[in-house]
Amino acid sequence: MSESISPDVTVDSRGAACPGPLMDLIGKVQDADPGTVIELQTSDSGSKGDVPEWVEEAGHELLDTVEHDDYWSLYVETTK
Amino acid sequence: MTGYAIVLASGELERVQAVSMIGSIAAASETPVQVFATMNGLTAFEKETVESGDFEVAGPAGYAMLESDGDEVPLFTEQLERAKNLGPLEVYACEMVMDVMGNEIDDYVDVFDGVLGVSGFLQKASDKQVLFV
Repeated sequence: MSESISPDVTVDSRGAACPGPLMDLIGKVQDADPGTVIELQTSDSGSKGDVPEWVEEAGHELLDTVEHDDYWSLYVETTK
Repeated sequence: MTGYAIVLASGELERVQAVSMIGSIAAASETPVQVFATMNGLTAFEKETVESGDFEVAGPAGYAMLESDGDEVPLFTEQLERAKNLGPLEVYACEMVMDVMGNEIDDYVDVFDGVLGVSGFLQKASDKQVLFV
């Protein structure tokens, strides 16, 4: 499934620790129109768990989490 | 739930960082946050302290953050400045501590929305959950 996701925006937060990646994502989400697919790249394992919590709480949708060699891609679709 | 009023009374880097992280994410998620920096918590915001990096540190987590030199974990000042652009975050300096220390607001890094006394803080905190750090 992940192969078919082509993000509208990619946020490279690799190298940043919690809560940097989440802050990067929130900044993009606030500027994005509904239906925008954002790929958040993070090498922080804490963010891998924390970001989905925020996405759910904020009412957006986590499409997929893809593990790469040294980072993760979290695909988020904005709903509002 | 109408937000958090956080009393930051400790200047320990670990606590100041934790307040900035939690407050920032809450505010960026549209939860109003007011931080009242008092006692040594305010001292951590002195320009001289921030520029020298000579923070009070309680233990290994604080030293690890200092050694990361802001590359991985942004310093609380940077974190708060950024969060203020993302959501309802206000930071206030304690008037009493400024008086005792002989400081003006210009002696602190530029993240403050104003100077408050205890009554002013309590009024702002009246509809919020208070966290004391």
